[in-house]
Amino acid sequence: MNPAVHLDGITKRFPGVVANDDVDLAIERGSVHALLGENGAGKTTLMNVLYGLYRPTEGTVVVEGEPRSFASPRDAIDAGIGMIHQHFMLVDPMTVWENVVLGNEPRTWGGLRVDEKAAREAVIELSERYGFDVDPDARIEDVSVGVQQRVEILKALYRGAEVLIMDEPTAVLTPQEVEELYGVFEELTEQGKTIIFISHKLGEALSAADEITVLRDGVNVGTVASEDVTREDLAEMMVGREVLMEPATTPQEPGDRVLGVTDLRVEDDRGVEAVSGVSFELRAGEVLGIAGVDGNGQSQLVEAITGMREPESGSVEYLGEPMAGATRREHIDRGMAFIPEDRHEKGLVMSYDLVQNGILGSQHEPPFAAGGRIDWNASTDHAESVIEAYDVRPPNPDADAESFSGGNQQKFIVGREFERDPDLVVATHPTRGVDIGSTEFLHDRLLELRAEGKAILLVSSKLDEVQGLSDRLAVIHEGAFTGVVDPATVTEEEIGLLMAGETLDDESVSGAAIHDAVDDGLDGDGAGDGDGAGDGDGAGDGDADDESGPNREPAADGGVEA
Amino acid sequence: MSRRDGGRLPTAARRVIEPFVDRSVAERILISVAAILLSIAVGFAIVLVSGRIAECSTAAWTMPVTGLGFCYDPFEVYAVLFNGALGYPLAIGEPGLFNPSWTPFNLSFGLTLSETTLLIFTGLSVAVAFRAGLFNIGTQGQLVVGALATALTVLALAPLLPPGPISGIALVVVGTLAGAVGGGLWGAIPGALKAYADANEVITTIMLNFVAANVAYVLVLEVFRAEGSSVVATRYVPEYAQFSPWLFPDSSDFALLALAVGVAFIGALYYLVEHTPFGYDLRTSGVQAAAAEYGGVNAKLTTVRAMTLSGALGGVGGAVWVLMSEGRWIESVPDLGFDGITVSILAGNNPLGVLPAAFLFGVLKGGALEIGFRTDVPTELVGVLRGLIILFVAMPEFFRMAGRYAGLGSSGPGGPETTADDSTGDDGSGGDGTTGDAGAATRGGEADA
Repeated sequence: MNPAVHLDGITKRFPGVVANDDVDLAIERGSVHALLGENGAGKTTLMNVLYGLYRPTEGTVVVEGEPRSFASPRDAIDAGIGMIHQHFMLVDPMTVWENVVLGNEPRTWGGLRVDEKAAREAVIELSERYGFDVDPDARIEDVSVGVQQRVEILKALYRGAEVLIMDEPTAVLTPQEVEELYGVFEELTEQGKTIIFISHKLGEALSAADEITVLRDGVNVGTVASEDVTREDLAEMMVGREVLMEPATTPQEPGDRVLGVTDLRVEDDRGVEAVSGVSFELRAGEVLGIAGVDGNGQSQLVEAITGMREPESGSVEYLGEPMAGATRREHIDRGMAFIPEDRHEKGLVMSYDLVQNGILGSQHEPPFAAGGRIDWNASTDHAESVIEAYDVRPPNPDADAESFSGGNQQKFIVGREFERDPDLVVATHPTRGVDIGSTEFLHDRLLELRAEGKAILLVSSKLDEVQGLSDRLAVIHEGAFTGVVDPATVTEEEIGLLMAGETLDDESVSGAAIHDAVDDGLDGDGAGDGDGAGDGDGAGDGDADDESGPNREPAADGGVEA
Repeated sequence: MSRRDGGRLPTAARRVIEPFVDRSVAERILISVAAILLSIAVGFAIVLVSGRIAECSTAAWTMPVTGLGFCYDPFEVYAVLFNGALGYPLAIGEPGLFNPSWTPFNLSFGLTLSETTLLIFTGLSVAVAFRAGLFNIGTQGQLVVGALATALTVLALAPLLPPGPISGIALVVVGTLAGAVGGGLWGAIPGALKAYADANEVITTIMLNFVAANVAYVLVLEVFRAEGSSVVATRYVPEYAQFSPWLFPDSSDFALLALAVGVAFIGALYYLVEHTPFGYDLRTSGVQAAAAEYGGVNAKLTTVRAMTLSGALGGVGGAVWVLMSEGRWIESVPDLGFDGITVSILAGNNPLGVLPAAFLFGVLKGGALEIGFRTDVPTELVGVLRGLIILFVAMPEFFRMAGRYAGLGSSGPGGPETTADDSTGDDGSGGDGTTGDAGAATRGGEADA
């Protein structure tokens, strides 16, 4: 039998870059195939070739044994290939069924009117056939991200897709939703559909896929059956050398309090409360991880802490001083390093070279600002040292930031911020888009900073990252901490529950133990300090409970914080 | 994603604009030269067609082969336009390539350089604001206010000082400073409105242009009008308190010293924008406001500062207009501020580019006057030719800017600023066409007078 899809010797060249180099790939009908690789390995390019967004420079796409040449995604859809992008393309105020049929509506009245009844029934029929739990009349804006993803899948199926390409499908999901997605995969493959998903997460590929193809530098390194390989094997295939998977963190007594956040409330750009009464403290030589599904107030929280956003109420105390009203520049000048989540918008000026980007935030500070002018020699030296230390490639300080790959841009930002000699590092998704080899290095460097006694606030959507690096792990949901737990003992399921807004039973709250440890350390440092912090926390909890309504368990919050 | 692939533009527009977005400086200069040649080709056809429609007793030019006669000679028009603007360095109708009696210090070249000098200041004014991501259409108003501040300050101080060159220097310096302060304050108003009240600077600066023109008019009409003057104008400032023409004929209204000041300003502004922390803040705000804020740049303060600086430069332009060209404040202020927008666009908003851009404008003005003197071609047609050249040269730069703001090419500023800048960009294109024409009309009037 012919494979569902056969990519035969696909080469895709862009000016100056070979994105795919003679890639052969055959995917069996009814299987789940993971396309694994680091950023810039050519996964998405390859899938865009299959989906008709790019024409291959060489090679052929063979679908169901028939060579095809797609001029556009329209042709690919006609050949039964559907793609679900990382960012959903749904119309929020419209209902599920309207979104599914959008653009391919059944018509009546001679094509003048949408046959709503037929459309709705077709959508119900589809969703029942694949066992999707989707209400066809719900509005997209009212349903969860996981359901939205299923609507996207329905859209593809409605258009007759036999092969579904999914680009990083789990990036926006909670662990529970990921499990549900795997269930959807099973349902689909049972009915003969074929699924290809792009990922750079090893665990995901291992648990969801039947076969895994690893791409490195545009070359197919190998296709393996998922039961025959281990994480380490895959990591080695991706990076091309052996990789240490677990960051080696050592126990360490935290020092003085660096950051104290008390009952912080922050609004987002639309004026909706995004952070609802968060309180915590962070000590020198300590890593506090914040886990949560993206968009639960993490961005606003770190922006309020780093002086990018004015909180509505509550206080941020840094190195013993309140930061209310302090400008962003004062935050920088007092030794706060900040790795922002959006490197294209904030972290780098895309049209500046790395020399100019290297002084972003320090443009008024010596040695870069000297005698009313910018010392470009010192700036160049600085950029070069960051480039060398953090292995930014290509090592050209005069190249514009936009010409670097995402991972290398990220390495440069992290390097710039880490080398600021900060007292506090606020790192948001520090290794997002960074390949495994460099991630390992950035993690080591972060732990070095911890050993040097820096306080580190680490926000990441990668669970293994926050779990592996943090001394304490706070889980945020809808702007409030649903729990602060000990990353060493908490299970992934427990974190998943907290991320979904549930609370843990008293016995499973492992945070209490570690908080005791912190309190102990606190007492050692000075009782007065500790008491003050304790009072602040208490007040914060009270408010948060009032606001968050009956579905949150005050007991658990209290249990964690007290 | 839409930001990166220019999703807001229709495909057709994208296809047109895309090639202009990512171009090196050398390529952009090459494009500009090609644009001038292309505009001459189109203008050539227009001159021919008009020359066929117009009625005249003898044909100025007869087309070879066909024997068709035309009232205007397109070769002569362009020869006079460019050669005449420099005072005829190239010999016409005489043996030899160069005109042996030519000196650089002639009237026509003086007029050309006078316009160049004034446009340096207004071009810099617009360019500085633009680099900060602000579209200052109010340079005209800032120039009017600065000019009045200069005239009134010099007139008030002159009686207190003994006449003479020393007082002259002092008065010129103080008068220019007064212009800078007046224009700067006038520019700070829309800056503060933008920073603290979120008022779009395009709208406020346009409105303030009218306010400036009318308030200045009423003030001079009612309070400061020179006795016995038939026009609404102040008294003349003393001769010794004006920029001295030195080498150039008096009637050229040009002073080398003022040009030197302008060139020095170009250098200073270039240094300020490219090599100082303040310039870094300003540029970063302009290209990527969110990154600037992340880097500790106070967005509100930078907006106010940039608009103040921009206004001050416009005000200095006004001071030079009073102290070099007119010798007094007079109601018919030329459209220097509006032409400054086009100069800045031609210059790619780079201070260094302002010099050639302003010079091109100067040449076009000087040449237009010469065409009026030397040929039968109506001034309106000359205005069309000028407009064509400006349109052709500005369009690639304009496409480049519009494309960048729409997110085409390798970078585009993000954030809510983008939309605002987009709409201002469109205003700019409309402005280009109209300023070109309006400028021509003004010049036509001057030439007749």
